[in-house]
Amino acid sequence: MKSDSIAVDVPAESSSVIKGKAPLLGLARDHTGSGGYKRGLSIFDFLLRLAAIVAALAAAATMGTSDETLPFFTQFLQFEASYDDLPTFQFFVVAIAIVAGYLVLSLPFSVVTIVRPLAVAPRLLLLVLDTAALALDTAAASAAAAIVYLAHNGNTNTNWLPICQQFGDFCQKTSGAVVSAFASVTFLAILVVISGVSLKRP
Amino acid sequence: MDIEKAGSRREEEEPIVQRPKLDKGKGKAHVFAPPMNYNRIMDKHKQEKMSPAGWKRGVAIFDFVLRLIAAITAMAAAAKMATTEETLPFFTQFLQFQADYTDLPTMSSFVIVNSIVGGYLTLSLPFSIVCILRPLAVPPRLFLILCDTVMMGLTLMAASASAAIVYLAHNGNSSSNWLPVCQQFGDFCQGTSGAVVASFIAATLLMFLVILSAFALKRTT
Repeated sequence: MKSDSIAVDVPAESSSVIKGKAPLLGLARDHTGSGGYKRGLSIFDFLLRLAAIVAALAAAATMGTSDETLPFFTQFLQFEASYDDLPTFQFFVVAIAIVAGYLVLSLPFSVVTIVRPLAVAPRLLLLVLDTAALALDTAAASAAAAIVYLAHNGNTNTNWLPICQQFGDFCQKTSGAVVSAFASVTFLAILVVISGVSLKRP
Repeated sequence: MDIEKAGSRREEEEPIVQRPKLDKGKGKAHVFAPPMNYNRIMDKHKQEKMSPAGWKRGVAIFDFVLRLIAAITAMAAAAKMATTEETLPFFTQFLQFQADYTDLPTMSSFVIVNSIVGGYLTLSLPFSIVCILRPLAVPPRLFLILCDTVMMGLTLMAASASAAIVYLAHNGNSSSNWLPVCQQFGDFCQGTSGAVVASFIAATLLMFLVILSAFALKRTT
């Protein structure tokens, strides 16, 4: 009986060892192969993140410094336009500044994904936060775009008159800020898609 | 005595017969040992494969339900905005006071965009069903996450632009001399506000869909 058990155990161990090695080799090969591909995506992610930061900061700064004072004035009334006059533009400056701040803080996580291309947790975190930042950025840009459009064209049905005939520089700067914000929206959308592609298994 | 002797003889004979059987048994055990281990390993692999598939199938079902709700919400937003019009009870011979969504370009684009998003979400339901049937397939999920991201952006653009106009209609703006219109067209403004809220709900659901797709895409090994 003892000899029987000994005879049975030996081939079991040998067979398990043989079968155990093959999957390890396979994983090693997969590791080296997909690492390069995902490291490239991570580097592209980092560069897009930098571009989105530049676009967002430009948008917030342009909107924040877009005030204009007309050259004539009376003793009691001064004709001045600033982003503070419109709540939508105030929301624009605050929201885009928040998005820019988030993007700066997310750069270290993007570096982590470059150093460790196969790590899943930082990519998931970046994707969730990028989606939220994309939503906030899109909301601010679109709301401001609607107001800028109204400032340029007005609306006869509601008797809202266009103001860009008097404040030309103000409207040009606010339009530029909106365009820059939409550029950062585009970069963030590409970032979300890249994060999704990076998450899939190779 | 004869019976006892016969029994003892049988006992003596059986060990002689059993010994070669034991030798054969050793050989058989040697032959069958690898298949037993092999089956166990295969069962473990199957179990490992089953658990992520089951989890991802649950995610796919949740995705389908959220997608259905988002489609209904987006279509409700478009329908609400399109059917919001109000005519004041007094009028003159040449001027009739009427408010409609076509009076404002932002709200016209709101109706168009929400209709497009509702249509896309309806057409994407078959792809979501494919994800339920084949939980480990990657291309349909990649396709869904790409289109969902674009549609989320479009929905938020329409909702935010209309929200800015509705806010202006309610409160006006003294700096630019834009007067509020909701003091006269109260029902119109309530209808447009409801449509904007529904659109923001659809955008939020689309955001959850994007995040769900990402969780389903991540590898499990």
